[in-house]
Order: sequence, then structure tokens, then C-alpha cells
Amino acid sequence: MDLLIDDKVTALRAELRAFFAENLPAEYARKTLAGEKLTKDEHIHWHSLLRPKGWHVPLWPKEHGGPGWGPMERLIWEEESGLAGAPRLNHVSQDLLGPVLIEFGTPEQKAELLPRILSSEDWWCQGFSEPQAGSDLANLQMRAVRDGDDYVVTGTKLWTSYAHLCNKIFCLVRTSAEGPKQAGISFLLIDMEQPGVTVSPIYTLGGMHAVNEVQVEDVRVPVTNLVGREGGAWDITKFLLGNERLMGAWIGINMALARQVRARLEQVGPDGRKRSANAVLAQRVAEAETDLLALRYTTYRVLADELSGKAPGPEVSVIKVRGGEIMQSLSELLMEMAEAEGMVHPLTLPHEGPPIVPLEVEHMAQQFFDRRKLTIYGGSAEIQRNIIARRLLNV
Amino acid sequence: MDFTHDDNQRMLFDTVDRFLSDKHDLATRAKLHKDPGAEAALWREMAELGLIGAAFTEDVGGFASSSADAMIIMERFGRHLVTQPLLYTAIICGRLLTDGLSGAARAEAIGAVIAGERQLALAAGSTHLLRSPEDTSFTARKDGAGWVLDGRMPVVMNGDRADQFIVAARTAGSSGERDGVSLFMVDAGAAGMSRRRFRTIDAFGAAELVVEYVAVGQENLLGPVDGGVPLIDVALDHGVVAICNEAIGSMDYLIPATAEYTRTRIQYGAPLAKFQVLQHRMADMYIQTEMARSIALVAAMSLDGDAAERQRMASAAKAQVARAGKFVGYQATQLHGGMGVSEELDIGHHYIRLNVIGQLFGDTSFHLRRFGALAETAAAA
Repeated sequence: MDLLIDDKVTALRAELRAFFAENLPAEYARKTLAGEKLTKDEHIHWHSLLRPKGWHVPLWPKEHGGPGWGPMERLIWEEESGLAGAPRLNHVSQDLLGPVLIEFGTPEQKAELLPRILSSEDWWCQGFSEPQAGSDLANLQMRAVRDGDDYVVTGTKLWTSYAHLCNKIFCLVRTSAEGPKQAGISFLLIDMEQPGVTVSPIYTLGGMHAVNEVQVEDVRVPVTNLVGREGGAWDITKFLLGNERLMGAWIGINMALARQVRARLEQVGPDGRKRSANAVLAQRVAEAETDLLALRYTTYRVLADELSGKAPGPEVSVIKVRGGEIMQSLSELLMEMAEAEGMVHPLTLPHEGPPIVPLEVEHMAQQFFDRRKLTIYGGSAEIQRNIIARRLLNV
Repeated sequence: MDFTHDDNQRMLFDTVDRFLSDKHDLATRAKLHKDPGAEAALWREMAELGLIGAAFTEDVGGFASSSADAMIIMERFGRHLVTQPLLYTAIICGRLLTDGLSGAARAEAIGAVIAGERQLALAAGSTHLLRSPEDTSFTARKDGAGWVLDGRMPVVMNGDRADQFIVAARTAGSSGERDGVSLFMVDAGAAGMSRRRFRTIDAFGAAELVVEYVAVGQENLLGPVDGGVPLIDVALDHGVVAICNEAIGSMDYLIPATAEYTRTRIQYGAPLAKFQVLQHRMADMYIQTEMARSIALVAAMSLDGDAAERQRMASAAKAQVARAGKFVGYQATQLHGGMGVSEELDIGHHYIRLNVIGQLFGDTSFHLRRFGALAETAAAA
């Protein structure tokens, strides 16, 4: 048994905290912790502050401009950046596509595209889900038909996060209808700034606009935009999702939420008493905190396995299920403790005059209802349980 | 015991359902929230239909045979996601008018509400979600024969449309004491009253109310001086039972809607409905709804009877309905997948409203505590 807390880890934590204290604009942190959206320019500004260290691409090796971190350092980064309220938006480019290009890209693709991610010139979105392919991803229908040196692509992607802020999209496309479904899928890079690509917003609970529908109609994409071989997308996708494997715990954000929950519990409520005097509430908060501790150390256990050379397996599903559920309960506690003030719809509040409710509670209800998606997307809670049952329990 | 509706109640149910099916789909609802004129017009139509009068019993000029009639309307409102303020203007504030006024003043006030000409809002309970009226945001200072009101409340439900506010102000004692809260009826346009409008997350209208040096007299008083809290307690019991029944209507809709979606959504080559885990989930939704329905019905029938029974049943219903509503709403969105969290579908809107209902007028722990305290009192007697 070893809790992985060595001098190296302690030093990194201290370094990150000092960096955030000095460099993270207070307004960015406030907005992030309160669930307010930052503008794209603010995100780009934050990335520019991280760029000298390469910390905006925590998964990348040094030779490509990253910090060259191992799994332990990345987890510490997750925790500390979440706790500090560091904004995070272009992670699809930085954490998902970047490592894919480094592993599977051609020398030309790497040379052209990695620097554009580093500089925030390119913002990529991920075109996976489709109207008839949600949990059942292999059922996807977007067609890419070879025509000379191009593919001609037609189809619809759904629930595409932040497509409205992105200039490029990587898509899973069907290049063949023959053989097993998975074998006919290819990984294709598509420029969104051209005719035939249409992005339409999908508004979700609380009036949020994060996801979109992306329609692609007869768009010509050079064959050189294929990543890996034709029909080889399934392995790339597994690699990509593998890089996301511990992110499902939302460990840093959950820790920041738990800190807010504890702080509100210790405050005086509208009845003039400390909220912690409510024994039921105090118990629910303590329960959420112990849930989070258990999640954190489960994440550490998976990490320890990984450090000892064991490939992470389906136990990651345990983390994904609990990470989402715990964030939902922490958000619910925050909203409930804010009582009437926590129920306002932020998009309807008047802008003139002093704030009607404290800024830190304006978005609580919207955040809670928005986080409903956590147990639905990226493999629903049911799919994760199927994985646990089939692969871990052999039933 | 008879849990079925009588002929009049069945007619009321059908009338409301037909009216809302014709006039209140999700797109119309979204438009209403951006158009105060259209909202006011719909309210007048509801008045003409007799729906507001159905929240008042015949002895005070209404059309209802008992307080249970309004619960039938609320159930249909839940089904159709209606955000019109029958709950605030007629059921809660209407109860305050019924219990706190008398004679010509009462007849005038209730008459104006039933005719759809006057909207009311209750400004009580500090920043609580309308519970604990012993905590107040407003003070009333004695000034000659009258009082001067001051204070600010950030979230007053239906404050956006109220023509008149019922302001709970402290006339004696200190915050948290049950004695010493008085109710004043104050016109929204009175000098010193100001508001800023917004909506809560479930799309109901609200406003911040600021009361600055507002002079009121005996004629503004609703109920006895210092005796406002017991009146509000009764009114909020009616509110609790109303939203419990609203939740039943919402859950009644979500279960077949979810079943239908799982029958048509194909993943992994089969309809979702073929997966036993989802069948059981929907069966659990049904079980929870039936339990909640029973207690919500009994709570509705207990409104006009013995006070202790009314309180006990209101709290029991609220605790059961809050749990059922959260579960049913959560699972309905879960089984609808991404569509469940899209604003395009009504499913997610029901989920939001069911969660807000869980918090409104006291959350589960508040009502379980109250139920326990009432049981203790009864045992000691």
C-alpha cells in the first residue's frame, strides 16, 4: 500500500497552486466556479497564459509542446486546476484530438495541425453521435464516398459540443457498408468553414447552448485528411476514449463543488441559524463528501494499476458512473441550500441595477439541471453498467 | 371512501383538459413566457371558463363544492406544464382572502380574483421557498393609526404580474417568532413599491420586491395584527396539496410518454423497451406514482376538515410526492437520453418542474420533521 504522495507530487501541487494564484485572472475563476460561461477570447487568453508551460495540453509529450507528464502528474493537474476554478473549454482539441494525431497522424498532419491547436488557432469539435447512433455508436450513418483524391461526405452529427465555437470537426464516417459495422468506419478531419457544413443550436435544460446539430452535405474532403487507415477508426476511437478514462470522475470540479457545499453549510441561513444546525442537511453533505473521497481513491487505485503497468480496464466505468452521480448530488445540494435565490433562471435576470441574487448562486439551478446530462452522454449509466456486468462479472 | 371524481369534478377535469390540449402546447407555452399580453389574455380566458372560481367554495362566491376541486385543475396543469398563477393568486392568496377578510371587503377582493381582473402575490418567508413565514423580510413600524413598511425580498413568486401584494411584515417581536407577523395588502403601484421581473428555472414568473417607506392603514390589514403566521400556514397547506396534485399530473404524463419512446427508439438492433432493466425502471416509476397519487388524493380531501389532519396529510403527501417526482423525472429524462435534456421536448421541462415542486413550500426534510412533530403532539394528547 502506498498512497502515492511523494515529494514530487507535493512539489507539483505547490507549483500549480502558486501558478494559479499568480496567473489565473480572478474573474475567470469566479465565473468558472459559479457556472458562468467565459467568452472564446477569454479561453484563448487563458490558454496563452498556460502555453509557456504547455499545461493547456497536459497529455502531450515535450517534443510537441506539452509538459511530458505521466498519469500521476495529469491527475494532480485535474485536481488542482478544478479546485482553482481554471476554465476549460477547448479540451476536445487539446486532450482528445491532439494525442490521436500524435499517435496515429501522418508527419504532415502533425506538422500542420498540432501547432494550430497549441496556438488556439484551431478549435476542434468531435463528431461522433448521430440521430440513430447514440449509445450504439457503431450504427452511425454519415457517409464518406471516395471520389478521386477526395471523399464526398454527407450526414448529420448530433449533440456536438461547442460546434458553434469551432472551425474544424473530426468525424466518424462510414466508408464501407460491408462486413462488421465497426470495420466500415473511418476517422476523418473536416474543415467546417466551407459550404455544405451547417451548425444549428440545440438548447438544453435551463436554456443552455452547448450542443449542436452539424449537417454535412456533399462536402469534399481530401483523402489526406484521413487519420489512420480507411476503416480503422474503431481502434483510434478506443484510444481516444481511453485518454478520457479518468476524466469521467470530474475529480477537480467535484472537489471544488464539495468545497462550496461545505462553505455554504457553515453559513447562516434565512432562519438566522447555521445551516449545519439542520441535522439532515449536515448528514447529506457529509455523505456527499465521503462519496467523493471514495471516488477520489478509486481513481487513485486505477492510476496505481496504470503506473504499475496494468492497462486500465472496464473498472473505469465505475468511476464514470459515480463521477456523474456525485456531481449531480453536489450541484443539487448547492441549489437547495440557496433556497429561493437558487431557483432563478439566469437568462431572465435583469441586467441593470445591483444583482437580485448573489452572483455565486445565479447559475445554480441552471448548473444542476444542465448536469442532468452527465449520466446520459459519453456512454449512459446503463451502458457503463452493461460493461461492468459483461466484462468484469462475466454475466 | 370514494376516490373517484363525482360528475361535476369529472366535467371540470374534461373541461380543463380540452381547453389546455387546444391552447397550451409546448410551443405556445414558450411564446407565452415572452409575451405578457398573451399571458394576461390566457388568464382571462381561464376566468371566463370558471377555472379561477373553481378555486373558491360557494360560500365565498366561488363555484367549488370543496377545496378538492381546485386540485383537479392543478393535476391537469401538471400534465400540461401550465405556468399560469392559479396556485399563487387563487389557491394561496385566495385562501388568505377567504380566511383573513370578511363582509364586503372579502366579497370585493374574491370577486375581482374570480373575474380574472386581479393578480396577487404573497411576499412571505424571507429567502425560503415559501415556507417558515415566521422569518420575514419586511418590517412594519407603527406610525399614527397606521404603519410604515420597509424591506426587500429577492424572489416573490408571481410578483411579476401581481396587481396587489400580500406583504408579511413584522409588527412585533423578532424574526423567527410565530407571533408578531401581520399581513398587509398593498397595491403594486403604491408609492414606495418597486419590482424587477424575472423567471424561476421552471419558467414561472417572479419578481424582486423592494418596499421603501410605504404607508399603510387599518384598511390594508388582512387578518389580525400580529396574527399572520397561522393564516399563512393554512394557505401554504393548500399550496402544498395543490403542487402535490400538479406533480401527479406531470408523472401521469411522463410514464406513458417514456414507455412510448422506449418502444420506438432502436439501439443495438432492438427497441429500448426490450431491455428488462428499463422495463423494471418504468415499473418502479409506476409504483412510486401510485403511492404518491393515493396520499395526494387523501390530502386533497383533508383540506377542509380537521386542522391537525390537514397538516399531517399535507406533509405526508409532500414527502412522498417529492421523492416520487424526483425519481420519475430523473428516469424519464434518463430513458429519453439526449432528447430528455433538450428544450424541444416537454420531458425535460417536467423534470425541472418536478424538482422545483420538491423544494417549494418546504422540502422533504422540512415536511418529515413537521409530520414527526405532529405525530408526537398527537401521541402526547
